[in-house]
Amino acid sequence: MMMKGDFEVHRALDLVQPGENWDCTPAEFSVSHHTSNPSSAMARPVLDGHRTNTDLSEFMEQVASHFSEASPGTDGFPMDTALPTEKFTTSPDEYRPRKSPRRVYESSVRGGESRSSKSLAERDEHGLNMITLLLECAVAVSVENLAQANRMLLELTQMASPYSPSCAERVVAYFTKAMASRVMNSWLGFCSPLVPHKSILSAFQAFNNISPFIKFSHFTANQAILEALHQKERVHIIDLDIMQGLQWPALFHILASRANGPPHVRMTGLGASMAVLEETGRQLSNFARRLGMSFEFHPIAKRAGDVDPSMVPSQRGEAVAVHWLQHALYDATGPDNNTMRLLELLAPRVITLVEQEMAHAGSFLDRFVESLHYYSTIFDSLGMSLPFDDASRHRVEHGLLSREINNILAIGGPARNGEEKFVSWRMELARRGFMQVPMSGNSMAQAQLILNMFPPSLGYTIFQGDGTLRLGWKDTRLYTASAWTSRPTQ
Amino acid sequence: MIVKKASEIPNQHHHHHMSTSRQSEPDDPSASEKWAANLLQDCAKAISEKDSSKIHHLLWMLNELASPYGDCEQKLASYFLQALFCKATESGERCYKTLVSVAEKSHSFESARKVILKFQEVSPWTTFGHVASNGAILEALEGEAKLHIIDISNTYCTQWPTLLEALATRSDETPHLRLTVVATVGMGGGSVMKEIGQRMEKFARLMGVPFEFHVVRVASQLGELKEEDLGLREDEAVAVNCVGALRRVAVEERGDFMRLLCSLRPRVVTVVEEEADFTSTGSEYVRCFEECLRFYGVFFEMLEESFAPTSNERLSLERECSRSILSVLACDGDGVGDCERREKGSQWFARLMQAFSPMNFSDDVVDDVRALLKRYRSGWSLLPAQGDDSGLYLTWKDEPVVWASAWKP
Repeated sequence: MMMKGDFEVHRALDLVQPGENWDCTPAEFSVSHHTSNPSSAMARPVLDGHRTNTDLSEFMEQVASHFSEASPGTDGFPMDTALPTEKFTTSPDEYRPRKSPRRVYESSVRGGESRSSKSLAERDEHGLNMITLLLECAVAVSVENLAQANRMLLELTQMASPYSPSCAERVVAYFTKAMASRVMNSWLGFCSPLVPHKSILSAFQAFNNISPFIKFSHFTANQAILEALHQKERVHIIDLDIMQGLQWPALFHILASRANGPPHVRMTGLGASMAVLEETGRQLSNFARRLGMSFEFHPIAKRAGDVDPSMVPSQRGEAVAVHWLQHALYDATGPDNNTMRLLELLAPRVITLVEQEMAHAGSFLDRFVESLHYYSTIFDSLGMSLPFDDASRHRVEHGLLSREINNILAIGGPARNGEEKFVSWRMELARRGFMQVPMSGNSMAQAQLILNMFPPSLGYTIFQGDGTLRLGWKDTRLYTASAWTSRPTQ
Repeated sequence: MIVKKASEIPNQHHHHHMSTSRQSEPDDPSASEKWAANLLQDCAKAISEKDSSKIHHLLWMLNELASPYGDCEQKLASYFLQALFCKATESGERCYKTLVSVAEKSHSFESARKVILKFQEVSPWTTFGHVASNGAILEALEGEAKLHIIDISNTYCTQWPTLLEALATRSDETPHLRLTVVATVGMGGGSVMKEIGQRMEKFARLMGVPFEFHVVRVASQLGELKEEDLGLREDEAVAVNCVGALRRVAVEERGDFMRLLCSLRPRVVTVVEEEADFTSTGSEYVRCFEECLRFYGVFFEMLEESFAPTSNERLSLERECSRSILSVLACDGDGVGDCERREKGSQWFARLMQAFSPMNFSDDVVDDVRALLKRYRSGWSLLPAQGDDSGLYLTWKDEPVVWASAWKP
C-alpha cells in the first residue's frame, strides 16, 4: 500500500538541538489488565446463555488478575487490575471505533446448528470446563508435576479442536499442543528450537494479509524513520530481523519522491537464513533501482546479539536508523545485553521499536497467563473477520500464532537456552540513556489509514499515550510502536 | 525398558547436534518429502535397540516438527511420536485408557453420526464393504421369510437402510427382519445404541418392513461372545455381518471365534477388514511399526485428500486412529479395550477356510460396487482377489486398503 500525498515532517524533531530537553514523559511499562466493563462476562454464572465465546479475552483478564494474586514474587510485571482507561485512550472518538455487537459474525456462520438456549449454555459450559482444565494443567506444568500435567493434556487434546467455530476452543487446542511439547522437552531434559523458516515466512505473509498488525508496525515505524531522516543525504537502515523486507518498499517510495531527490540508502538486514536474506536483498535492490534510488544491501545471517559491532561499521555523515519488530516466532536477537551494546555503539538517530504487549520472559505462569490473554484477543480478532473454516485463517493460526505460543511456553520462553532476555525493551532503552521520541500526529494518521482498510465495525482500536502508539483489539493492547534516539555525546 | 530421563543419563549430549549459531544454513529436516516416516522409523529402531541417546535425539526432533493440525507428515509425526514416547516410557496402557475414557465422555449419537456420515459422503472406505456385503446377504437369503442378521460392525448401522429398502422393493412378499447388533466397549454408551435402534425402527416402519432390533452388549472383549447371548430362533435364516469386527478379537482367540460363528449356522457370513498386518509383536517391533506407519500413512493421506482442510470430522477420525496406533504400538494388549491388530485379507482367508467355504460375489454385486466407486473422487478402484484368496479389494491409488468377502457353511 502506497502512502498518498505528502507528509509533513513533524516539526518537533527539527527544532530539537543538542542539549535541549525533550518534552516527553518517561513511559510507564506496567501492563494493565482491566476490563472497562467490570460487570461483564465472568461475574455471571455459567448458565447465562448470553455469554459469548468472544468474551474469552475478558475472561482471561479476570483470570489473569486471580493468578497474579495467587503467585507472589513475580517480578517485573505489576498487574494493575484497576488502571483507568482514560490514561491511554485518545480523546477524539474518531480513533475509537464503536463497539460492535458481539457474536454477529460467529452466529451467522454457525449455519444449521440449533440455537436453543440450552445448547448455548452447554457449549459455554464445555468451554468453561476446557479453560479450567487448561489452567489447572498450566499450574501442574509450572510446578513440574509432569505426570499430572500429562494426564490433563491427554484429556484436553480430545476436547478441543482448532477448527471449531469457538475461538476459545481454538486457543485451548493450541495452548494444549504447546504445553504437550513443553512437557516432552522437560522429560527429554533439553530444549532447542528447530525453525522452519520457509513456512514461517509464508504464514507471516498470510497474517499480513488478513490482519492490520504488521502493517501498523511497518507504517508507523516508517513514518518515524522518515521524520528522523529528514533532509539526510546518506542513510543507513538496519533491520534487526528483516525477513522478506515487506516493510521497506513503502519507505523507499517516499524517499525516492523527496523534493531534492532520494538519499543514498545503505541497508543492513539481519536474519536467520542467508538464502532468504540474499533473496530479500535482491528484491529490495531491484525495487530501489526502479525508483532510481542509490542502494546497497548487506545481509548478516546472525542474531543481533551475536553480531560483532565491526560487522556493522558506521560511515561518516550517515544517519542511522535501526528498526525492530518483536515477535515470538524464534529468537531474533539472542543475548539482549549484547544487542543493547550494539545499539549503544551504533548511536542511531532513530530506533523504531514495535513490541508485543506480552511477557516474553519471566516465570512460566506469568508467560502463560499473559499469552493466553494476548492470543485469545488475536484469535477473537481473526474470528470476527473470517469464517471458522477459512483456510488462510487456519494457516495463520497454525503456522504463525501457534508457533509463537509454543515458543512462549517452551522452557525458558522464546530464547529456549537460558540467555538473559529483557522483560521490556522500552524500559531498557530508557534505562540505557536513549531518549524517547513521541510518535507524531503523522504516525497516528498512518495508523488510522491502516485501520481504514479494515471495516470500522470490527474491533481494532488505536491507543495513544506516553509517546507511543498502540494497536489493539477492543480493550486489549497488542502491539506498541515507539521511537527512540541516542543522546548526543558532546 | 524404560528410557531414563536425560537428567539421569551421565554425559547427556546437550546441543551436540543442534547448533544455535547461524553461520551455516540451518538444517531443515522437514524439507524432504517423507521426513516423518524416516525419523519415526529411525526412532522405532533406536527403541528396539535401546539406544538411549539416539532415542532422545529423535524424540526431540519429532517433538519440534510434529503437529496434529498440520499437513499429513506433521500429523503422522505427532500421533506416532505419542506412541513411541509411551513405548519408551512404558506408559502406553495408562495413556490409552485415559484417551478412551475421554473419547467416550464426549461421544454422543449426534457427533458419531455426523462423523461417519461425512466420511461416507467423501470416501467409499466404509460404503464399499456395505454394498458388497448387502449384495451377498440379499442373494443368500433370497426367498426366506424370516431373516436374522447378526451385525458385528463399527459403522453404527449405516449399512442397513439400503438393505431395508432393497427388502421393501423385492417383488415377492416382504420378509420379516430381525437385526441383532453386537456392541463392544468402544461403541459409545447405551444412549448411542438406543438412539440408533429408534431410528432403525422408524425407518423400517416407513419402508413397510416388519422389523425387530436388539442390542447385545459384550462386557469386555469380543471373543467372549456366546451363542446363547444371541437368542437364535429355529425358523430364521441367519446372516452374520462382520465389518471391522474380526480384528477386535484377541489374536489367540480368533480360531475359536470362527468356530463360534460356525455354530450359529448362518447361510452367509460377510467379512470386511482393512488391509494391514499388525500381528507381529514382541521381538518384531520394528516390523510392526513399519507396517503400522505404512497403513496409517495411506489412510491419513486419503483423509487429507477427501476432506476439507479444516474438517472437524476428519480430526475425529484422526484421533480415533491415534488411539488404535497407541494400542498397537505401545500396549501389550491384555485387557485394554478392543484389540486393534488387523490382519490382511489373505490371513483372514486362511482362518475362515477352517470353518467356511468361500463364496464369490456375483456379477451384479460387483457391478453395484463399481457404480458406487464412480460416485466418489478419482483414485478409488476395485481389485478382485487373485490367486489363493477370494473376495474383493478396494484400492486407493492402486494400493489395496479394504478387503470384502463372503462365506457359506
